[in-house]
Amino acid sequence: MSDTATESRVEKAAELPDDARAALRSLILALADSKRVLGLRYSDRMLGAPTLEAGIAASSMAQDEWGHARLTYALLGDFGDDPKALEHERPAAEYRTHPALDAGFGSWADFIACILLVDTSLVTQYGALVESRYTPAHNRVQKMLDEERFHFQYAAGWVRRMAAVPEVRGELAASLARYLPQALQWLGDDEGPAIRRLVDEGLVSAGPSDLRARFLSRVVPVLADAGLADELGLARRDGGEWSIAQPLSFDGWSEETRRSGGSLDEETAARARGDKNRALLMD
Amino acid sequence: MIEPVYEVFARKTRGEPLRHIGFVNAVDGDLAKVYAWKMYDEQNWGEMCVIPRDAIIPVNPEESQFVTMMGRDAEQALVHSKGTGSYGGAEMAGGAK
Repeated sequence: MSDTATESRVEKAAELPDDARAALRSLILALADSKRVLGLRYSDRMLGAPTLEAGIAASSMAQDEWGHARLTYALLGDFGDDPKALEHERPAAEYRTHPALDAGFGSWADFIACILLVDTSLVTQYGALVESRYTPAHNRVQKMLDEERFHFQYAAGWVRRMAAVPEVRGELAASLARYLPQALQWLGDDEGPAIRRLVDEGLVSAGPSDLRARFLSRVVPVLADAGLADELGLARRDGGEWSIAQPLSFDGWSEETRRSGGSLDEETAARARGDKNRALLMD
Repeated sequence: MIEPVYEVFARKTRGEPLRHIGFVNAVDGDLAKVYAWKMYDEQNWGEMCVIPRDAIIPVNPEESQFVTMMGRDAEQALVHSKGTGSYGGAEMAGGAK
């Protein structure tokens, strides 16, 4: 963040220009919705994990994600939203979840690949809020990132383990190949006007390409260590930063939803909203 | 594949003695750290360490809880036998999914 931006911290969203405020709200809502559904998907792996310890850790990570979602929804109170309504009263079509989370996990490999790639893409975007001059975001994000270190270690350990087991290595590689482009694309389009406003206003510390480079610098060493980087089309550009061979397309991609159409299904949204226990919701 | 045992030690504040609080099975030290942090989270620990059980050298083995009279291999075989289960390792071993 520039010195100028540091000098002008923003305590209230209302202090922001309309377009920058709308862009920041969209980003925060996309993060909150993705965290909510990520936790839900993790919770599906609390049982049936390969080891008891792995299942308990999955349960704990699900709780982490729900906690992060709640903290993130709460930020939106400052933008004129009712966080409880956002959490419990929206139809599926209004969720702005990471598209990689539309489908549940079909296997343990999906779960591990999702933690390494999708969770890390969210963490990378949150990381750009640590240095935001919007103080409420800046204040809340660091604790989340501290907890996320364990999610990354969990994924890295399981990628190493699975890559060494011939029976599941191919399945893991397929899951990683499916999530990788989605994770990279979710970080955004450099040409997007809303993202440019967020960077220019010092509300995020880096734009999409920089975030993709940060993301790859975190995940590729794990994949390379497991001997999976080549088959995922990852290579060092001129011996420097990692890049993916497959070009990203932003045709039809919406900056507001961070998706290229489609939406969460109603059944998953009902679970995310907590419909079954609606009568027991507390104020 | 048998996962080694890692003993878990922790303390809440600086200066407090490091206490043995339990153990985890994990394929390597990195996963052992995650499992320990996530499993033994009932207290707000300031410091936590995991130590491979193999690395502990008991001064008086007959009194040590880190070795059994069976010996390590026999203990591992018992812990990982089907009856006592390591929570369905078949999925990872390429068995039933």
